Amino acid sequence: MIARFTRLMSASVVKKQIMGLTGLLLCGFLVGHLAGNLLIFVGAEYFNAYGHALITNPLIYVAEAGLGVLFIAHLGMAVRLIMENHKARPVKYYLKQPTGRGSTFASSTMPYTGTLTLIFLVLHILQFKFGPVYTIVHGGVEMRDLYKLVVEFYQSEVAVLWYVVCMISIGVHLTHGFWSAFQSLGFHHPSYTPLLRKISVGFAVVIAGGFASLPIYCYFQGGM
Amino acid sequence: MSDGNMNLKLKVWRQKNTKDAGQMVDYSLEGVSPDMSFLEMMDMLNEKLVNEGQDSIAFDHDCREGICGMCSMMINGQAHGPKDLTTTCQLHMRSFKDGDTVVVEPWRARAFPVMKDLMVDRSAFDQIIAAGGFVNVNTGNAPDGNAIPISKENADLAMDAAACIGCAACVASCKNASAMLFVSAKISQLALLPQGEVEGEERVRSMVSKMDELGFGNCTNEAECEASCPKGISISNIARMNRQYFTSAIKAK
Amino acid sequence: MTIKKLDGKIPDGPVDQKWNQHRFNMKLINPSNKRKFKVIVVGTGLAGASAAATLAELGYQVDAFCISDSPRRAHSIAAQGGINAAKNYPNDGDSVWRLFYDTVKGGDFRAREANVYRLAQVSNSIIDQCVAQGVPFAREYGGTLSNRSFGGAQVSRTFYARGQTGQQLLLGAYSAMMKEVHKNRIKVFTRREMVELVVIDGKARGIIARNIITGELEKHSADAVLLCTGGYGNVFFLSTNAMASNSSAAWKAYKKGAYFGNPCFTQIHPTCIPVHGENQSKLTLMSESLRNDGRVWVPKAQGDKRPPNEIPDDERDYYLERVYPSFGNLAPRDVSSRQAKYAVDQGRGVGKSGYAVYLDFRDAIKRDGQKAIADRYGNLFDMYQQITAENPYEVPMRIYPAVHYTMGGLWVDYNLMSSVPGLFVLGEANFSDHGANRLGASALMQGLADGYFVIPYTLGNYFATEKPEKTPVTTEHPEFEQALKSSASRFEQLFAVNGKRSVDSFHKELGHIMWEYVGMARDEEGLKKAIGLIQNLRKEFWKDVRVTGSDVGVNLELEKANRVADFIELGELMARDALERKESCGGHFRVESQTEDNEALRDDENFCHVAAWEFQSVDTAPLRHIEELKFENVHLSQRSYK
Repeated sequence: MIARFTRLMSASVVKKQIMGLTGLLLCGFLVGHLAGNLLIFVGAEYFNAYGHALITNPLIYVAEAGLGVLFIAHLGMAVRLIMENHKARPVKYYLKQPTGRGSTFASSTMPYTGTLTLIFLVLHILQFKFGPVYTIVHGGVEMRDLYKLVVEFYQSEVAVLWYVVCMISIGVHLTHGFWSAFQSLGFHHPSYTPLLRKISVGFAVVIAGGFASLPIYCYFQGGM
Repeated sequence: MSDGNMNLKLKVWRQKNTKDAGQMVDYSLEGVSPDMSFLEMMDMLNEKLVNEGQDSIAFDHDCREGICGMCSMMINGQAHGPKDLTTTCQLHMRSFKDGDTVVVEPWRARAFPVMKDLMVDRSAFDQIIAAGGFVNVNTGNAPDGNAIPISKENADLAMDAAACIGCAACVASCKNASAMLFVSAKISQLALLPQGEVEGEERVRSMVSKMDELGFGNCTNEAECEASCPKGISISNIARMNRQYFTSAIKAK
Repeated sequence: MTIKKLDGKIPDGPVDQKWNQHRFNMKLINPSNKRKFKVIVVGTGLAGASAAATLAELGYQVDAFCISDSPRRAHSIAAQGGINAAKNYPNDGDSVWRLFYDTVKGGDFRAREANVYRLAQVSNSIIDQCVAQGVPFAREYGGTLSNRSFGGAQVSRTFYARGQTGQQLLLGAYSAMMKEVHKNRIKVFTRREMVELVVIDGKARGIIARNIITGELEKHSADAVLLCTGGYGNVFFLSTNAMASNSSAAWKAYKKGAYFGNPCFTQIHPTCIPVHGENQSKLTLMSESLRNDGRVWVPKAQGDKRPPNEIPDDERDYYLERVYPSFGNLAPRDVSSRQAKYAVDQGRGVGKSGYAVYLDFRDAIKRDGQKAIADRYGNLFDMYQQITAENPYEVPMRIYPAVHYTMGGLWVDYNLMSSVPGLFVLGEANFSDHGANRLGASALMQGLADGYFVIPYTLGNYFATEKPEKTPVTTEHPEFEQALKSSASRFEQLFAVNGKRSVDSFHKELGHIMWEYVGMARDEEGLKKAIGLIQNLRKEFWKDVRVTGSDVGVNLELEKANRVADFIELGELMARDALERKESCGGHFRVESQTEDNEALRDDENFCHVAAWEFQSVDTAPLRHIEELKFENVHLSQRSYK
């Protein structure tokens, strides 16, 4: 059984399917995360209550572990694929030009946008999950004042800029990654696939734009 | 059509044999007619080299009408040159301008060692076909050709995939040197026809595992293969292969 | 000069029973004994690949040799239009007998009746076999196979896969072959060129092959050798053949005692893209199927240089429709080619060079719409546009005849065995089934018939009768050493000349001589002149050819030199054969022998035979043997497509 599993995991087709599947699930996470964070616009109380509900739910550990596995699988597979692909062409071309009819900026920069995302992610967790702990009482319950933490953090132009750049990078990553996942999983249709590629761009704009709006909003909320 | 002949500068990869390191060598060629095909231009250069007592440039070519799949060549960094749906032999010099520098290199992939100059060994493709790219039917075993009706749509889709000429431009143009377009085209052709469908699951597993074993890279869905394919084979075939492989791998005993 | 009357070993009985009877009478090899026999198959086109696959399926050990990097690249791949079969699916009156009749008549009564009948008989099984292999033939909306019509026939019997039928059939045969490679029953030797036939005790027992990559000469032994090496159209330098298509394997066999049948029978295909310049390396065919919808014309007036679309209908001469009202634009190839030549000779040719006629789709597009035409011929139109930079949807194509196929080839008997026992010749490489002219969509049929359905039977009979396994030979045999040495010394000689002229310059000169004197129209004076010119060219070649590089590793110049040396000798034989055949028939048109309206005039009294040439020495004239042709089922008549 183990031999069968490793054999399956080493098949090129399966490797890219794992990339696609984990990528899509991470897209799902992004949607959830964005939806929750947009509560900032509603008000500090709601945002903090949402954070509190998440942190105090015992299932959070399961969810975090799940997310961790997804990230590691996506990342680990990416590293493995990049190394294998590098080996598949030991002598490089003297001159190589894209046809202009196939690859896109997004598709050819996946490893770079991916790496940037990884760096962002590590810093992001350090900055917020393991950042300074402020508390506040809403409705008689003491909880972490994440709102204050976020607004305070994004008083720095550098922090806002970094965040926005990283979101653009994730957006670029998604424009290729989203439809590409469907292709890897075996979905292709002469009319739906072109549509899906447009949806990819739309999805990327929503995610990147949605997230990027947060620190900008926070920046202007400063001094309150 | 212009009557003006062109002068070209060429940078051509020269390599004595598989073990030789190889290098780019500069040549210049005068009086190239825009009506000539790219290979006729190479013939002209070779004729010049022979007259100067030099070794001619080895390159693969045969039918010169775009169907045998023998000609290869990365031209200015693109497989079969700049025009879409065109093999090197069907690329005409009217696509170039007087004074252009043209860079000519062999296909590059671990699975395709260079044999000499611009010639590479593509026998890996034969090995993949031998792993399962066929219908197991012996001569004499066939029912009447019309015994099993095949919808025109599927017959046409199968033909689209079967149009592959095995030139390996897909591998050459893929940044990962992946062979998935070639492999999936054969898998699709046979999967779309009732005759080939019978062995479909076994076929997709054995062909994919042979492809992996031979050291081709992995697909990242950039579609450069489709864009540089002289026959316009679609990456929808890759999706079909992915789908088939998944179900087949799970069901395999 | 002793003239032998050759025996074609045609079985007795009525023509429609011969093959069935013969199959029953032939001896069999026990299935478990088949693995003791080894067969060498040279060439992996339709004939070679189908033979290799089928023989391996039966249990024989097969060594297959191909000149390219893969068996899939053989030039059968370039056949566009289709493959004939007598299925009569369209219910338009076809039958085995009609296909047989059309093919004999199309070949201008210079083919064996029995062979052609067998070909028509197995044609249906070929279609079934190819469908079973997954060949994606064109289909109707109801899911059944689609047919179209082709030159020389009034029924629709041509099966096709877009404009790539040859490719699809070859890939089918190739995949059947790879299936046997998978089972270790076929060993494929790629990038090998056969440079010598090894004959031991009068039987073909092996070959010397040159490894094109390393330059090494290799010895390969077997119990029988199958030559499936295609035709020799490249004698003309410019032809529709692939660059590597060559006659050397057949020529070596000829020099080892295999007779060469009807070498002068070459087919000039009417619809090729015209020559554009001196640096041109090959000609590109536009499928004959285009003549289903395209109309061939030239201006009525000489030297009319107006753009085609400005020439009104009443000033156009649709000459094929005018001269052949019942076949019109679908007249057979030889007839159509010659009419194009007449038009050009009269100064009515079109295009810059004047060596072209129009093939016009204006009316078809008007009738069926551009989309329907694009569905049928899209890839051909694209190809035309790529080469000429003209859009055939808007301006008529310019076409001109070009050398395309050689009906002649090594002489074989009914069992496909040459005059060297154990040496079998299949497909275009043999002379057998097309007579003096091949009909469209018949080459694919013949190659596959030979490989799938004829050789598996006749080779077994040869083994069972001759029992070559009783006298096993290995490559240690002195004949192999001898053959290896003579091959090696030939390559050394090619280097040793160390002259000044490139190989291609000789090839081009040979091509000019052949096209001028042994082309579409031949006469005694010209042929005699050609023989002299070719002999001089041969001497000049061996005095002044320049082969650069070394014999170790890839050397394209050396490969070409070896082939061109053989082409020169073969060219001379073609001219000799054309000179001796003082009649016109099919693709062989002797100016001295024509009807009042310039059609080919046969001389059945004196030339109703196959000429089979026996090699003497390079400087001695070869012997011309004959095999009488008897027509018992098809009445010898003047061909008429009017």
